This record gives sequence, structure tokens and C-alpha cells, in this order.
Amino acid sequence: MDITAASGRTLVDSRGSSCPGPITDLAMAYRRAKVGDTIELWATDPGVKPDVQAWAAKTRNEIVSIEDQPDKIVAVLRILRR
Amino acid sequence: MKRVVIVGGGSGATFLANALDRRRFEVIVLAKSASHMFQPALLYVAFKGAGPTGIVRDERSLLPRHVHFIHEPVSRIDLPARTVTTAAGSWYDYDALVVATGVTTDPSQIPGLAEIDGQFGNYHSTIACARKVWAGLDAFRGGTIVLGQTSPVIKCPPSPVEGILLAEELLRRRGLRDKTRLVFISPYPRPYPAKPMNEIVEPLLRERGVEIMTFFDVDRIDLETRTIYSIEGDEVEYDLPILIPPFVGADIAYEPADVLDANRFLKADKESLRIKGFDDAFAIGDATNLPTSKAGVGAHLEAKVVAGILDGGPAKFRGRTHCAVDLAYGMGTFVIGSYTAPVLKYPPSRLNHFMKMMMAHIYWLSLRGTLDPVFDWYFARTDPDRRSTARAA
Repeated sequence: MDITAASGRTLVDSRGSSCPGPITDLAMAYRRAKVGDTIELWATDPGVKPDVQAWAAKTRNEIVSIEDQPDKIVAVLRILRR
Repeated sequence: MKRVVIVGGGSGATFLANALDRRRFEVIVLAKSASHMFQPALLYVAFKGAGPTGIVRDERSLLPRHVHFIHEPVSRIDLPARTVTTAAGSWYDYDALVVATGVTTDPSQIPGLAEIDGQFGNYHSTIACARKVWAGLDAFRGGTIVLGQTSPVIKCPPSPVEGILLAEELLRRRGLRDKTRLVFISPYPRPYPAKPMNEIVEPLLRERGVEIMTFFDVDRIDLETRTIYSIEGDEVEYDLPILIPPFVGADIAYEPADVLDANRFLKADKESLRIKGFDDAFAIGDATNLPTSKAGVGAHLEAKVVAGILDGGPAKFRGRTHCAVDLAYGMGTFVIGSYTAPVLKYPPSRLNHFMKMMMAHIYWLSLRGTLDPVFDWYFARTDPDRRSTARAA
């Protein structure tokens, strides 16, 4: 996992990490996040989609988008609660 | 003759020091401890009250005679200058460096956890800490036990499930099960992180009456009210907490500092195991940030890969995991996967449990590479990539 953080936006690169790596990486980024921050998660494991949806529902944070791109899945989350 | 400096004195370091050809390499092992512990045994110290016999050996006794073993903690590694400096001020240069420093528990990351850890112990660090877990369980007469990992990053991913199942077995055998509420907390979406294995684990937990709280990433612990709070907004009260602290990499200063991630794990190439940006430096075992389980089998296989590369071969690590899981009541399973093959749903059996128990006996022999032909045959036979390909066909 690589995490790059700048001015309230954190990029979490979990490509190549299989279940539950991406959700683990997301949880680690959430631990360091503040309300109002955005987390962008990159993953290649298709299991990331239901896991991110369940995570957002549980933590009551907002999924801005989840997109299938040719080489990765990109989930963008806005932190509403922390 | 090339000089290989190995930093660390655990499984990965010992496997590698034994695997390197004495005719081609001068090998120096620098370790902060003179003792070597078979870490999986802590589970049985904590949950069965097992004694310390056979768990620890002198590291020197596990290394070939030609290896220079130096019992000094390393304080600094300068990768561009190819030097390793110890806390005592000695320094060593190298042709190749292999870092196998493992991880340590860091309860200070979570408010209240250091106090819990000091009083109730844990089963991921020392024999003394594992004995505290046993002392708590042995004295327990009823109430709520909360068990789980406090952070998403963990050494030995099956160990939380093993702990709760062994605690359940102990309490049932002692006639205390009806007086006990067992709560399993997990930061993941399900009790076992990998879905296929969860299909085995979650029904077992439910069948044995364990309450499950998922997405429970511990934020803080209120010691007065004996309540654990999660970042996700949940809380649970405890009478006996058995909590696995967060893990961090070794306290060594690196040049450049950015070879470490936020948890002090070394950024390494997942196949060549080279520390990012350096052709002559490798990281193996728990010390890395590789996207695979932190487990002894990884350290073993990664040590073989590095030995192969240093020997001039085309070796690559494929992310193989093969972790034995104790499901209590004499049953066991294995977590088997790789970078490219998802974890298998491996049916529980008494044979699997027997094999896990056998590992405690053959571990010391395996460190020397004596059993490599057996392991090579066994790992090939259970290769998850081959099984995935066969299923797809």
C-alpha cells in the first residue's frame, strides 16, 4: 500500500493487494483522516466494491463515486464522520 | 567473496543464513536478541496455559558455524553508503543487505491500550505477556470477554479467530460457558478477512455462540467504565479484554527515510523483495509492507527467494501463504493463497490440526533447510495457483 496525502485529499494505492487488503488500507487511511477529507482508493481486487459500500454504510461516510477503469477500480469517499 | 549482512534474528534471518552457500558468501547476522522464539507457541501459552519448554532456543545454535553472529541491536542503515551501524557504535559495510527485523507490538497508539496490555497481556510478543492472558483466563469465573485485533494491520491474521475459539473451548470444558458472553471484534467487514475462509470461520463462531462485531477498529478504551470504543462509532464493555495491539516495524533509522511507510514497514518489491530503489538491499518477513500475510511461512519462502537471487538465479516471490489455523476441539484448517490465487476454502479436519501441532516439533529442524525437500513437495502439492488453474479449466 502507498498512501499519499495532501491538503485533505488522501490517495490510497491498493493495486495488487487482494481481499481484504484494500479495505484494510482504507481503514488505516480513515484512522488518520479528518471530517471533510477525501480518500481516493485504487484497487484491482473486485471484492473492493461491496466492501467499500458496506464500510461507508457502517461508518456513515459518503461514497462520491466508484468507477471501473481499464486498469483499476477507483473509489472516492468523503469523510463526514470521524 | 561477497559479504551479506542480515539484520534480524527470527525465522527469515535464520532460514536465509542457513541457505547461503558458505563458499561464496561471508555472512554476518546482527540481532537485538540472542534468543529465538517459536512464536506460534504463544497461542498455547495464552489459551492452554502451556509451559515455556521448547519455545525458545539460543540463536547462535541455529546458525552454521561459518556465520558471524553478533548480538547487537542495529540503530541505523544507510542504504546509499551500504553501511549498517549498531547501537553500540560498530559499523559494517556490505555487498548485499537483507533486513528481517520483524514487527513489534505498539499499544501506545491507542489511548488506554498500554494499560490493558500491561495488566492483561497479549499473545503476540513475549512469553511473559502470553502468561498474563492465561492468568486472566484461568482466574475468569464469568462475565464478558472481548477479544480481537485493535488495528487492521496484524501479524498472523488467523490468530484472533484461533484465540476466541480456544477461549470458548476452555470455558466450555470448565463449565463456565453459560456464564460468559464472548465478543469478537474485527476491523474487517467479516470475522475472517478473506471471504472463502470466512465461509468456514463465521458459521463456527455463530455455532459456538460468539457475538461478532465487524468494522470495529479500536479508537480508545475507557478504563474506568471498562468500555472499548471503535472509530466507526460502536462500543462494547468488557470484564476481561484480550486485545491484540497494533504492529509497527523495528526502531531503526534509515537513509533514505522514505523506504519506510507510516507503520515503519519497509517498502519492498513484491516479487524481487528488493527495498524500493536499491538493487543490493532486500527485506523479508514481517518487516515488509508486502500485500501478503505477516506469517512465518512467508519469511521462509522469501528467504529462499533472496538466497536464489543472491545465487544469481531468477527467483521471484509469488505471495504464497500457508498458515495453519487452530479451530479448537482438535480441528484445524489452512489459509492458502498467493498474489494471484484467492485464499482457498480449505475444509477443517483433525489431520490439519495434527499438522499444526507437528510444526512446533519440526520448526527448529526446518530453519536449517534440512526439511526443504519435504516442504518443496508439500507446497507444490498444495499450490493455490495450480488449483485455481485446474478449477478454471
